[in-house]
Amino acid sequence: MARMDTLARARQLEDRSDVAYVVRFAGRDGAVDVEQTWAELGRDAAWVATRLSELGIGPGDRVLLNGSGAEGPWLRPLMDALHSLGVTYGIAEAMGWDANRTLVFARELDLHGVIGLPREVAERLGDDAVLRALFGATRFVLARPDAVPQLRSAGIAAGVISFLGPALAIECRRRRGAHVDAAEWTVGEDGGAIWLAPAAVGRCRGLGRTVLKVRGTVSTEVCPCGSADPRVIFEGE
Amino acid sequence: MQAVRPSRPGKGDVVSRERYLEPEVELIGPAELRDHQERRVVELVAYAYEHSAFYRELWDAHGVHPKDVRSLEDFQERIPFMDKSMVREYRAGHRDPYGGMLCVPPEQVTSISSTSGTTGDPEFFAEVWDDAPPLITAQLRDLWELGLRPGDKVISPPGCFRNLMDYGYQALGATVIAVNTWLGNMHEVVEAARAYRPAYIQLAYPLVTELIRLGETEDLREAFSSLKGVSFAGQPLSRRMRATMQEDWGVEVFEYTSAADTGTAWECREHNGFHLWEDTVFAECVDTESLGPAAEGHTGELVATDLDNLAAPLIRYRSSDLVRLNRDRCACGRTHARMWLAGRRGDETIVRGRPVTLRDIEQAVEAQPETIGGVFQVVRTQREVEVLRVRVGYDPVATPDPADLGVRLTKAVYDATGVEPELELRTEEELMRTVRSVAKFARVVNS
Repeated sequence: MARMDTLARARQLEDRSDVAYVVRFAGRDGAVDVEQTWAELGRDAAWVATRLSELGIGPGDRVLLNGSGAEGPWLRPLMDALHSLGVTYGIAEAMGWDANRTLVFARELDLHGVIGLPREVAERLGDDAVLRALFGATRFVLARPDAVPQLRSAGIAAGVISFLGPALAIECRRRRGAHVDAAEWTVGEDGGAIWLAPAAVGRCRGLGRTVLKVRGTVSTEVCPCGSADPRVIFEGE
Repeated sequence: MQAVRPSRPGKGDVVSRERYLEPEVELIGPAELRDHQERRVVELVAYAYEHSAFYRELWDAHGVHPKDVRSLEDFQERIPFMDKSMVREYRAGHRDPYGGMLCVPPEQVTSISSTSGTTGDPEFFAEVWDDAPPLITAQLRDLWELGLRPGDKVISPPGCFRNLMDYGYQALGATVIAVNTWLGNMHEVVEAARAYRPAYIQLAYPLVTELIRLGETEDLREAFSSLKGVSFAGQPLSRRMRATMQEDWGVEVFEYTSAADTGTAWECREHNGFHLWEDTVFAECVDTESLGPAAEGHTGELVATDLDNLAAPLIRYRSSDLVRLNRDRCACGRTHARMWLAGRRGDETIVRGRPVTLRDIEQAVEAQPETIGGVFQVVRTQREVEVLRVRVGYDPVATPDPADLGVRLTKAVYDATGVEPELELRTEEELMRTVRSVAKFARVVNS
């Protein structure tokens, strides 16, 4: 009689869906929906764990995630990765009006890292001095592209994390653009717009090359960190 | 085209054990349940005394030691109450983010979620788990009762401050449709419902008000015809709002509420009270004056003890929720206690000595066609006031004459409360822009 038993019972249920998520993302020409399977989600979590590990995140660290309920396809691999690394995560909404929650986590928990901070939260937190007081001593900050300029101008060496279509893009310590998992995705640029296509066979069944509502450039050279993942440099970051 | 609703056993179908996810727990006999609770409480007291600085300090101050607690009677007689203000005080005094509650080394905490924070800074919930966070895991039996089954689709909830709920839906074998369900996106939700035929969606007050307006131009009965159930939480659902959802949209609404921060308590398909899961919580209903047990069937304050939380358990936690508890077997067959909410301690406003409840005002507001959404706030800086200030949100499309609305509302509130209010009329949209939580619309504000 405990939650563990309830979960064990749930795991025995048959006729489960192979599809974990229907992911909706913004394409240049409108919303695009694709399916994400359990196997794909697992591969994403493993890749994220490697990237975070390379950033120095490890057991005993405390990290704050900014997200929203509709961002499960990207949050779940992040959470699973943090869990596998033995990292404690706190969670706050990615909406500006909930900035006080981010403030309380940052003030009370001596965070080692922040992941997914958006501009609307960063702006509501306060001016450069406030941001420096909150995150200046935080070991790493991975912010959404729209928040990066404000953080960097405040003197915080923020890296980029982005939900890039159905993929995740995460910048390494070298700050040479956000890496995208080459085993799963091909990315490129079309007139300043980023496009993305599956590289792994069967990834997001039915998805072809799709131009995203994201502007930037792509580098396919090997990163100084040694990774051969393509890297996206977002416009305005 | 006539919408076809999914088939499912109906209200009163108690006979099939398939109605229950865990029949051996949900239908447990009272004696067996009490034995379980007693065993867990005795273990818990010893565990918390050893591992939690907050409880050790509190219980030492009251001269209580775990060896004195060998039964539920001992527990209720000797263990003191605690509340949020005591945890806040400990947190501030000891610079401990967990308020002294944490019973495991901090590095063993999997995740930290938090309270809604509508009445102050959010308070942390330390969580230790493997496959799914504790809050959603405790809802799996409720989602099963609602009708959610493997292969079904669920529309993602708007928020994640209590952790990502997807883990629970997916544990039941469902697929999550990840669309934005926050304010301003209900047209997208309706479109996703038509495209993916979901079985379940969670809604909150601001979202329902947006959908009510959208229902003026969209056929929500058709769009939502695949839903086996809609849940609603964050604050009590008004009768009128429930009627709109059930009668106009044709959906079955399952309200749920907090089980004093130990989990949640949901309506079953009988819709007669909120079921607590008493294998995870020991619930007491306490008379707010004597602090002894409230008389059977009387309203008292819900006091809760976590029976399945080794991270930071609440022990005899005064929730401020005023409830009535009943342990009779429900028509659904379940034996766990049900509760009925009567309000929150302190929500009553005393106007020149006269108590005014939120429910009285709500009924007056909802009775006007321009304010059928029931969007209102009591504005006060203290509980006892000379003037009842009420801010009401109206639908501008349905309001040709706001002045006339003001006259009718003033009279309706006076008739319901005996107090003439000072009204402030705003559009619903203006008031909704002040929302500071994905879960709650603040009913009592100080400005």
